Amino acid sequence: MLTEREIIATLDMLRNENLDVRTVTLGVSLFDCSSDDTGRFISNVRNKITRLAGNLVDTCDEVGLKYGIPVVNKRISISPVAAVAAGFSAEEMVQVAVALDEIGAGLKIDFIGGFSALVEKGFTKGDRALIEAIPAALSKTGRVCSSVNVASTNAGINMDAVALMGRAIKHTAEMTADRDGIGCAKLVVFANIPQDVPFMAGAYLGIGEPDVVINVGVSGPGVVKMAIDRARRKNPSLDLGRLSEIIKRTAFKVTRVGELIGRKVADRLGVPFGVVDLSLAPTPKVGDSVGEIFQSLGLKSIGCPGSTAALAMLNDAVKKGGIFASSHVGGLSGAFIPVSEDLNIAEAAASGRLTMEKLEAMTSVCSVGLDMVAIPGATSAETISGIIADEMAIGVINNKATAARLIPVPGKKAGERASFGGLLGEATIINIPEDGGSAGFISLGGRIPAPVHSFKN
Amino acid sequence: MKKIVFFVLGPDGPGIIATISGVLFDRGCNLEDVTQTILQREFISIFIVSMDDSGDENELFEVLRLKLEPRGLFIHMKTIGAGEPARQSGEAFVITAVGPDRPGLVSGITEVIARHDVNIVNLKAVTRVERKPPEYITIYEVDIPASIDYNRFRAALQAKARELDLDVNLQHREIFEKIYQV
Repeated sequence: MLTEREIIATLDMLRNENLDVRTVTLGVSLFDCSSDDTGRFISNVRNKITRLAGNLVDTCDEVGLKYGIPVVNKRISISPVAAVAAGFSAEEMVQVAVALDEIGAGLKIDFIGGFSALVEKGFTKGDRALIEAIPAALSKTGRVCSSVNVASTNAGINMDAVALMGRAIKHTAEMTADRDGIGCAKLVVFANIPQDVPFMAGAYLGIGEPDVVINVGVSGPGVVKMAIDRARRKNPSLDLGRLSEIIKRTAFKVTRVGELIGRKVADRLGVPFGVVDLSLAPTPKVGDSVGEIFQSLGLKSIGCPGSTAALAMLNDAVKKGGIFASSHVGGLSGAFIPVSEDLNIAEAAASGRLTMEKLEAMTSVCSVGLDMVAIPGATSAETISGIIADEMAIGVINNKATAARLIPVPGKKAGERASFGGLLGEATIINIPEDGGSAGFISLGGRIPAPVHSFKN
Repeated sequence: MKKIVFFVLGPDGPGIIATISGVLFDRGCNLEDVTQTILQREFISIFIVSMDDSGDENELFEVLRLKLEPRGLFIHMKTIGAGEPARQSGEAFVITAVGPDRPGLVSGITEVIARHDVNIVNLKAVTRVERKPPEYITIYEVDIPASIDYNRFRAALQAKARELDLDVNLQHREIFEKIYQV
């Protein structure tokens, strides 16, 4: 028997708190599409993806309607292109990206992720070709997302790859200069990349994954914020222990929604269900913000001293609630702090309360990293590599996923606005101190060894 | 204004609530509170309605009795009884209708529900006075036969909701169960 309280609370989450399923992502392995001929490879890829994902969008919409929970994005993740197209040149890799974009457009999906390489320990020929192809691929396509894993706790940090990615980011921004360097919004550099992330730009289908699989990304920062606000209104003396319990319970509910929708879509498509990624993913909309949660927890703004502790508590409570709600949790699973994609965080960066240094500190306790951070267009490739290296070190040492999605906005300086449109949002360009001071370190290259796994102090 | 409490008891089937609320609406009665339940095959529903002081409750009772008796339904004022059969042949959905309180809300929505041969298995109406203006929320747990195209049913509900200034949602019951049940 349902109680009216339960029904009304669910209704409120939908009507007023932006509860939705942020993404249903269909993973498709492309290993059986390999060919030494670009045309044949593309044809094989088109046939396989179209066969498996032909009904993805309609099915998500139907299931969303039936349960009253909108599925905001429908995406595809594929095997890392650097591996499945390893024999191709950079130019051929670009052709593959353009074909993937067309396939995605035909299926009306939002993004296709997996223009990716895993190079934490070194490069194959395919990896080098893919990284070389990234700027052109991302400037010629709208839906294709690219990720490069340059570090892992078990392998250390491939500093040659870090140097290459600094240049790739810079070049990608320049090739999409007319749109504030938007190509970089679809490019992310990772440490410890999970194989089953449904969120972009890091989604790809790992080598240990099934031939085809549905992974789901839930959201719900608005639901968490409202739950905290309601609880504090009712009992103003609630302490952080009690508030973390409320966050945990809320994450449970949100995760349940995601798992149900994902399983129903998977059933209808006849595809196995993989994982729920129980991340709090914001959008540039008031009431759908991770930044607002910090204010609900008593901070004037994200970025104020106390923010790292608040984020650590939030991230942990979200994981605990989500893990209890679903037996298959994966992906990034935590709180995202993408600057431009969260209106409140973007405002904190614009006001100067949230700095690059504080952002970096916060990434040591959250689930992603330096995400959607607009930086001055004049920032050197070596400085970008330095920022990446620092972020990778946080992930490698703490045995967690971290990432850098940095956008050097061409022709713009710190304090100016950059606009990426839609869910990618807009942001004030954040100041990067001591530009030029990292070049000597980055030029050393090589691989920073894997860290020791004991003596953790 | 005067309040009338009555219950209707008898075999369950589509259209009971629509018939009763239609009669109430025609007489300018305001449905303040209603609850419905089914025990085994017996339907029972209790209504609290307000009617103008000049209204004739005896006439209302007679009209309801004449409409309900042919269906084997018994009506009694100020008393409580026990109810009747659900058709549980399809999928369980929950319809929620939210909007400002006014006469004819339940009548309008249940007319659409009945027209689609959808059976109401549980009905609750609550007013959230803390909202400004107060929100009137009606929750219909319904059983939708497999033969019904629920997208067309949803479209019909939404069309009626627009007429009545309501926000209507039709959702599979499982979503509520999954969220709240461990």
